[in-house]
Amino acid sequence: MGSIFRSEEMSLCQLFLSSEAAYNCVSELGEIGLVQFRDLNPDVNAFQRKFVHEVRRCDEMERQLRYLEKEMLKDNVHIVDTGENPEAPQPREMVDLEATFEKLENELREVNANAVTLKKNSLELTELKHVLNATKLFFTEHEGPSSLRLEQRDAEPNSSITQNLLPAEEGKGPVQLGFVAGVTRRERMPMFERMLWRVCRGNVFVRQAEILEPLEDPVTEEEVHKVVFLIFFQGEKLKNKVKKICDGCRATTYPCPESQQERQEMGQGVRGRLDDLTVVLNQTTDHRHRVLAAAAKHLRTWFIKVRKIKAIYHALNMLNLDVTNKCLIAECWIPVSDLGRIQDGLRKGTEKSGSSVQPILNTIKPTMMPPTFHRTNKFTNGFQALVNAYGVATYREINPALYTTTSFPFLFAVMFGDAGHGLIMLLFALWMVLREKALIASKMSGEIWNIFFGGRYILLMMGFFSVYTGIIYNDIFSKSFNIFGSSWHMGENATVHYLSYVEEVTLNPLYEKEYDQTPYPFGFDPIWQIAVNKIAFQNSYKMKISIIIGVVQMIFGVMLSLVNHLFFRNYVSLVFEFIPQIIFLIGLFGYLCILIFHKWIHYGCGPAFDFIHKAGCAPAVLITFINMVLFKKDEVPVPCDLWMFDGQYIIQMVLVIVCVICVPLMLFPKPLILNSRHKARKAHHDQVELMSDTSHAHGTEEEFELSEVFIEQAIHTIEYVLGSVSHTASYLRLWALSLAHGQLSEVLWNMVLKIGLSQTSLLGSIMLYFLFAAWAALTISILVLMEGLSAFLHTLRLHWVEFQSKFYKGEGYAFTPLTFKHIISGDEEEG
Amino acid sequence: MTQLINIVSHIKTSPESCYATSGRMLDSLFNIDNGYLEGLVRGFKNGILKETDYLNLVQCETLDDLKLHLQSTDYGHFLANEASPIQVSVIDDKLRDKLVAEFQHMRNHAVEPLATFLDYITYGYMIDNIVLLITGALHQRPISELMPKCHPLGTFEQIEAINVASTSSELYNAVLVDTPLADFFGECVSEQDLDELNIEIIRNTLYKAYLESFYSYCKSLGGITAEVMCEILAFEADRRAFIITLNSFGTELTNEDRKKLYPQCGKLYPDGLAALARADDAENVKQVAEFYTEYRALFEGAGSNPGEKTLEDKFFEHEVKLNVNSFLHQFHFGVFYAYLKLKEQECRNIVWIAECIAQKHRAKIDNYIHIL
Repeated sequence: MGSIFRSEEMSLCQLFLSSEAAYNCVSELGEIGLVQFRDLNPDVNAFQRKFVHEVRRCDEMERQLRYLEKEMLKDNVHIVDTGENPEAPQPREMVDLEATFEKLENELREVNANAVTLKKNSLELTELKHVLNATKLFFTEHEGPSSLRLEQRDAEPNSSITQNLLPAEEGKGPVQLGFVAGVTRRERMPMFERMLWRVCRGNVFVRQAEILEPLEDPVTEEEVHKVVFLIFFQGEKLKNKVKKICDGCRATTYPCPESQQERQEMGQGVRGRLDDLTVVLNQTTDHRHRVLAAAAKHLRTWFIKVRKIKAIYHALNMLNLDVTNKCLIAECWIPVSDLGRIQDGLRKGTEKSGSSVQPILNTIKPTMMPPTFHRTNKFTNGFQALVNAYGVATYREINPALYTTTSFPFLFAVMFGDAGHGLIMLLFALWMVLREKALIASKMSGEIWNIFFGGRYILLMMGFFSVYTGIIYNDIFSKSFNIFGSSWHMGENATVHYLSYVEEVTLNPLYEKEYDQTPYPFGFDPIWQIAVNKIAFQNSYKMKISIIIGVVQMIFGVMLSLVNHLFFRNYVSLVFEFIPQIIFLIGLFGYLCILIFHKWIHYGCGPAFDFIHKAGCAPAVLITFINMVLFKKDEVPVPCDLWMFDGQYIIQMVLVIVCVICVPLMLFPKPLILNSRHKARKAHHDQVELMSDTSHAHGTEEEFELSEVFIEQAIHTIEYVLGSVSHTASYLRLWALSLAHGQLSEVLWNMVLKIGLSQTSLLGSIMLYFLFAAWAALTISILVLMEGLSAFLHTLRLHWVEFQSKFYKGEGYAFTPLTFKHIISGDEEEG
Repeated sequence: MTQLINIVSHIKTSPESCYATSGRMLDSLFNIDNGYLEGLVRGFKNGILKETDYLNLVQCETLDDLKLHLQSTDYGHFLANEASPIQVSVIDDKLRDKLVAEFQHMRNHAVEPLATFLDYITYGYMIDNIVLLITGALHQRPISELMPKCHPLGTFEQIEAINVASTSSELYNAVLVDTPLADFFGECVSEQDLDELNIEIIRNTLYKAYLESFYSYCKSLGGITAEVMCEILAFEADRRAFIITLNSFGTELTNEDRKKLYPQCGKLYPDGLAALARADDAENVKQVAEFYTEYRALFEGAGSNPGEKTLEDKFFEHEVKLNVNSFLHQFHFGVFYAYLKLKEQECRNIVWIAECIAQKHRAKIDNYIHIL
């Protein structure tokens, strides 16, 4: 049986690998990707395992690679993704890789360190250049005023005038107006000035000028804005304080000669050195770029290689070491159908390692439940994910994913039924499906996009089915197509004059002039779109359809439980669970569906129906059903008949009684039978024990508590009986959402686009231009996206709760094989 | 002395009184502003290492083992980009960086009054940084060498200019006047040159003013915040009083000066503090603690003999208990404080274990403070 019906058959295998071949064998198994290793040393800490040293080396290599990658991104070097899949290198090649990475990293670090020093020098020189320019400006600006001349002169210690001016201050020497020039960040300037003011008590004079172009910080490589400042002060003490503050505020001070000429010379020198430095800096950058570009070609393959090695050693860490240290023992889950491929892989691995000892693969009897493994393709993958989100199937139970592939989009479409909106969805999904390869390759990130893209086949199916139901509902953006010609006619009354003063025209299906007596060939008659009682008509139809779809799906679910019982040879459950369940469901709700069909076929308006089968006499199905359970008979007007067919009352009574009997049948026998079986087994066991006089294998006997089993069965029964009622009612959401969707799109049409379309002037065309944009945007965002999401969630609920609760346990755990696939696709997942 | 009384007189200092203050902020409105951050901090708190993690850490043979194990906890790959062999100081820095990043994230998303509350937490670190820098400057160490040792939560713009000051009044006028610490500094302005003892006094006076201010701020917030934080801060104040007393024996500090350093918002105030001020040796301190149930338990069984826990560790354990308990309440700011303190304790624990491993001194490796 294919694995889409149930999960793959798994076997637990014991694998003996000789220690020299183990690495290669595991590597081959990783390429195949169908072996799940069991951790045989769960008690051992991560750092006490055997191959922890190798794992750590891989970590180190990964770190180096990440460093390289970071540097490449910084330099905008394109990282080549060839998409090739290199094999995991041999352990001995690890040393080479390590050496290569180490060399690259050291080279890069050296280049970077050089670049930083160079940049720092260059920054200092640039700043000095600006300082010189700015000071020149300060001094020339004030060429005229005497105050500055004084400063300038004061700045020169051997100026004779200063000495003459202040001869009285003996001992202290001449008063000097010294200055400090420097550069600091723009944002630090206010704080800097404030502090200068406070510490020096206002005895300094600060001038500043902003450096216009932003400078680059050599370490962080960010752009910073800086300011040149010039502080004039008097005396040594203040000088010290100013210097300290400059240090404290991370301002760099530069020596600035006092005379104009010296400044000029210095300026020239600086410019010359700056030019030289730029040349060297460019060469360094080029070199760095070359190194990175060379490494970028291999970066992806290196990453894959290192990650593969790491994954292999992680797997090897899970193995048990043989006493003799000569071989490793693994326990693993393998799909039975793939045993051959695994054997091949092992053989290949052994050959590659040159070992003469063949690995041994033994199948052993599992003591625990095997993992659940469904093989999926890109179509079923999405649907399987929907099922797994509820719970991974118990080993070998029926997999609902197969049925979900059609029932899910169908139920969705019943709610989303609008061919226009469906078409939008269909085209979007089709685009994703057709451009699949290109889209995968482009590696678009973004959670929302990934959700859409991952479910592209679900969307495709949903769109397709929505178009179908939309045509059935004859609903395209809330409008209808009249393809085959409506069956209803206005007759001779339909003159413009007549219609202008009549608000409503009632068409009676009795008259052949007004109704053809043959229904519209496919879907709803388009005339309903303009009918006043459209909703009343559609409600009746959609409600009944919802119930029928629901009951059919639930019966199908119960039938699937039969398949499960048969497969697991659980005959007690078959007889005392499945049979009463199916009788209960069909007896009550199946019968309800039959009544619905009966009413559709045998009651009508045309001349073919006699009086008691006319519309006026048709009994309400719902009331009939409620009365059936209550054993009640309603009074009806004289000519009509309460019963739809002969013997209906008797049949109904029998059905209800049988269904009520089914309830205790579900509740009591199963726990009692299990109890007696358990007793018998125990008696047998005791006998054996007495005879053999040994008391082992006692632990394998599972605990059996009658009360617990009873409670569980009671819960199960109550859930089923009440569930049948509530689940049937729950399917009415199909109708409710479909109604809501139809109404919303109609409102949108009437409130937005219709206004634009009904304009007669030229202005109307301009208005229409904008109104259409609004209508289209709202259609996409509300009707397709939001309504789509809501219908999707309701469908999901119908599947998880109403459908799967009938047969699906979902108590398994997923098969997680060692595989290199995610390493190649570049996911950052790590084990 | 008169000044001192002026400062604290507006604080009615008794922990019980904070229960009387009715919650100014309705619990039901708490989540509007602070729900996200509270959720975040509780999530962070769940990432604090458990006892089993510690048991594993203690078993590590090398620091690389430690790194490997920390990778499997909430710390994740915070050390992944560090080259082996790894240094303890690197681990310490990275641990601290991670905590600081978390705290900054919360601070950036906080609105009043939580923002002020979080700022208050950082003031403590500022005090420590200032003292560290002044002490360093006294010993002629360049500021650039000291800066990396400062706690990143306690840095402020002017901090690097701190060595301009040679007296405390200069320190106040030049550096601290624009910082939030200015309010706490009124007490210690003097023209005396800064020296070791002076700095210690400044630190403790600042801390006293800070604690009292924080205490009264928490009380003004009212509600459960006051309830939880007053308890924690009262303990912090008392701990400082005890430690100041114990450390002052054999120094030049007079009993009268010492009394000025006691934060007056703890449970010891006023009788206990008065008794502490009179204490002359460790035995006297113990007698004071006898009168308070929670402190008696801490002093009992504390000692420096092998097998005994030091008083410091006992205090840490009690602090951890208070902090963990604060997570049992909801709708209050105490969790932010408690998380930071717990995480700091955890960093200390990890560094302790790392040091023990690095120095091959495994005998004392179990002396970390148990958190959860």
